[in-house]
Amino acid sequence: MNTTAQDEIYEYVGAVRQALAGLTDEMRDELLEDLPEHLAEVLAEDSGTLVDRLGTPEAYADELRSSAGLVGGFPDPPPPRFPQLVETRDNLLRLLGQADVRVGPVIGYPKASDFLILLRPAWWVLRGYLAAMAIAFLLDTNRSGTGLLPRVGDNELVALFLLAGGVIVSIVLGGRSRNFARGPRYALRAGTAFLIIFALAGFEGADSSARNIQYSDANYGTYYDNNPYSHVNDVFVYDGTGKLVSGAHLYDQDGNPIEFGDSNCVDQAQYDAAMARGGGYPWCAENAPFGSASPSAPPSPTPSS
Amino acid sequence: MRRVDTTQLLKGVLDLAVLAALRDEDGYGYDILRRLRAAGLDEVGDASVYGTLRRLFNGGLLNTYVVPSDEGPHRKYYGLNAAGRAELQRSGKIWHGFASTMDDLLRERGAA
Repeated sequence: MNTTAQDEIYEYVGAVRQALAGLTDEMRDELLEDLPEHLAEVLAEDSGTLVDRLGTPEAYADELRSSAGLVGGFPDPPPPRFPQLVETRDNLLRLLGQADVRVGPVIGYPKASDFLILLRPAWWVLRGYLAAMAIAFLLDTNRSGTGLLPRVGDNELVALFLLAGGVIVSIVLGGRSRNFARGPRYALRAGTAFLIIFALAGFEGADSSARNIQYSDANYGTYYDNNPYSHVNDVFVYDGTGKLVSGAHLYDQDGNPIEFGDSNCVDQAQYDAAMARGGGYPWCAENAPFGSASPSAPPSPTPSS
Repeated sequence: MRRVDTTQLLKGVLDLAVLAALRDEDGYGYDILRRLRAAGLDEVGDASVYGTLRRLFNGGLLNTYVVPSDEGPHRKYYGLNAAGRAELQRSGKIWHGFASTMDDLLRERGAA
């Protein structure tokens, strides 16, 4: 046996010993007492390294532990504290794993998670943007409505700096978070969860205000709508002699009818609704501001507006 | 249900298997592993055999001696002592009883 083989054995036994760290020194020594000699026999049998033949030292240690555990020489590992929770989690993970493999081929990847991993940098950028928006939202005291940029005090330059900073920090964190200790990693996850909630709330707000603008046409004007005709319900046309024209039809330059109000005439005195008569404006001749439609009515002054 | 697989079953009977492999002839660790695999126990691993030999030896069922070798390393041989033979016989009986019970049970239910 040459020195290289002895080094290999020494190294392997050392790694197995380390993997058995959970045991008492006494048990470990007893278990490993003959291992160098045994491994020398194994090496002498065939060619190949110990790892090729026996697997990793960690796997070897596991097998050793379980075979030696049969006589009760080793304590059982402590039972999990919340067995039902652990079981539920395991079941969920298994289902997710199955879905992962099933969905993957549909979108052209071995596993769906392969595709999601490709999207990771895009998520980092989005997360940086959301973080910048959240910071701006918290810092900006005189808020004139949150836009799409992380403005602080209506300043675009600050917004762009904040945006760039947020995105860069998020990308750097994304690349390094794998090496984080437990505390910082959990802090990062908590922050990310907060950002997701913040983003959902912001998205909902932006979505509903975008929809409200679409609804504000002539007849559904809202208070910030600057259409001056949004409150018009009826139209009264007077001819040159100040006589109320009945049955008038209005058209724009393209020949499209101009419609105001609806053709239900509500009698203000009796709160009675009746269909408009004859078609055309005015719907309710009784409500004429400057005189009635009857030919005997005294002429009214020409409306100035 | 926990699926029956050879690795699980083997855990319960590896002691018996190793004792049986040494019944007719002493052997060293790797040699015993080879005998078990040749007998059809493909799943058995080197660490299991080594651990089992250590345990059986500590339990007083085996004797051991080193055989010097010119070209290779010295080999540590294991053999059954009187206690080991008695244990082999006792455990063997239990196994036969258990195995035939399982066989009957499976045959009765039409599963085999």
